[in-house]
Amino acid sequence: MDAVLSIAKREFRSYFDSPLAYVVICLSFFGLGLLFFNFRGGFWQLDRATMQPLFEYLPAGLAMVVVPVVTMRLMAEERRSGTLEMLITLPVKDSDVILGKYLGALGLVLIVVLGSVTYPLFMFKFPWNLGPLDSGPILSGYVGLLLYAAASVSVGLLVSSLTESQAISFFVTLFLLGAFWFSGSMADQMTGAVANFLHYISFQTRMSGFMRGLIDTRDVVFFLSITALCLVISFRALERRKWA
Amino acid sequence: MIHASELSKRFGGVRALDKVSFEVKKGEVVGFLGPNGAGKSTTMRILTCFLAPSSGTAKVSGIDVFDDPLAVRRAIGYLPQRAPLYTDMSVIDYLTFVSEIRGLKADQFKKALGRVVEVCGLAQALHKDIGTLSHGYRQRVGLGQALLHDPQILILDEPTADLDPNEKAEVIRYIQDIGKDRTVLLSTHNLSEVEQACARAIIVSKGRVVADGQLDEIRAKTGAVRYVVTVDDKALRADAAAPSVREIEDALAALAGVRKVRELPNDESAHRFELSGAKDSDVRAEIFRLAVDKGWLLLELHRDAQSLDAVFRDLTRGDEALDRGRTESFDDDEDEDDDQDDGADEEESEKEKA
Repeated sequence: MDAVLSIAKREFRSYFDSPLAYVVICLSFFGLGLLFFNFRGGFWQLDRATMQPLFEYLPAGLAMVVVPVVTMRLMAEERRSGTLEMLITLPVKDSDVILGKYLGALGLVLIVVLGSVTYPLFMFKFPWNLGPLDSGPILSGYVGLLLYAAASVSVGLLVSSLTESQAISFFVTLFLLGAFWFSGSMADQMTGAVANFLHYISFQTRMSGFMRGLIDTRDVVFFLSITALCLVISFRALERRKWA
Repeated sequence: MIHASELSKRFGGVRALDKVSFEVKKGEVVGFLGPNGAGKSTTMRILTCFLAPSSGTAKVSGIDVFDDPLAVRRAIGYLPQRAPLYTDMSVIDYLTFVSEIRGLKADQFKKALGRVVEVCGLAQALHKDIGTLSHGYRQRVGLGQALLHDPQILILDEPTADLDPNEKAEVIRYIQDIGKDRTVLLSTHNLSEVEQACARAIIVSKGRVVADGQLDEIRAKTGAVRYVVTVDDKALRADAAAPSVREIEDALAALAGVRKVRELPNDESAHRFELSGAKDSDVRAEIFRLAVDKGWLLLELHRDAQSLDAVFRDLTRGDEALDRGRTESFDDDEDEDDDQDDGADEEESEKEKA
């Protein structure tokens, strides 16, 4: 477990040793603010003091840019530069490497997610007070966001551990997370079993419950299962080097 | 300390290792030699549990690499080829990271750091980013991380590749230092380094061990001695004609006991030749007499065991040279051919038997 934490810490720190972490954090808050207040009228047009738009934009934003950028280099760069050999020949288990990398990347994504807590705090507590804060949906929304972040980072890690190219890793992760998100909208145009299936796998559909203040165990289990599955496959992909 | 038995490794259809067996005893510094692609790195990766062998077993410090990879990795310090390090970290951060993973306590690390910084000469670079360091310094950092936990066994994969001659000499000096009380397996294709740092060498070619023993034994293995003869361009006596290259070469080749004559590059003022002779022969006296008879001015004459270079070329030569009917590799500077087809392996083993 010490090794996991050491690897996670190194991974997390290395984001801040390069401009990457700062660019990701600044741009995502800038984009989030813009969307939240102005996109299609945003917060103003809604005419209600609600945080719901936040939970619509943040996951989509994470899926589109933040997670692929943060996860693209995790394993791909290690393989390309050969540092993987150095890391693995230290006394660490392959699973420690995967878990450590995962936690390191998740840490940065959670900074973006939890950083957005400043929105409700600033608007409903201090310095502005737009009205009583409906804390239930916000809490459940953040629970959903954490789960969503956990699942999407694991998807990014999985893709990164299958390739040596950061660019490929970025685009494939972007595509997968986009597809998982928009399969919900697509399902709305369809009927029958296909629609049900698309709804079933859609991150968007799964998130809508959390946004309304509903923590459904099925959704929790869904996100946790995706996370576990992707981590196990990443682990297998790393182990495969031994026998290939 | 290191025990490899019948290690084989296939990558798809390519056989990278073919029943490699060897043993490294406690306190030995062993050179692991071979052309590029001969299987040196693959063997080392198996010993460090980065790869698994397709068949065969390996034990490090008495622990099987299959049974307990973590214990094996704890027992060894490993420097992979080209020292792949995290370029965005500073040297001190990197060493701290390695010590955390190796589970060193704070005071242990402090002591180890002092030792490593001194042995590897890292004091100047400690707070610099690894990405800004020269190859030589990176190699030292790589060596430093391998030494951090004071392992009894060191496995170093081409620690001197890409270094300039000064850096090479320095790294070799470190290895000699380190090797005094540790077991070291060192891969390289630079033979002079092996002669400096190791007493014993294992030579691999095309995934097989082709020689294993003390350097002197290996040198003697091909059963040839080498002479170097230099004759001045001008004649000894005023009345004699100046000797031509052709003339000297033919006369030397005609001597009994001389197998092969090759002209070595030299300046215009003298002609230099390399001769190979049978193992227990000595034709120095004949060469001298020949020079006196012909009125040549003999500038240099010496005899030694065949150089490790020549032995290496002999043992690891690709077989297309054989196909052309050449049996001696004396003047064969051909690049190695590392194709791994089965036919080649069979030829190789036939050669070994012969």
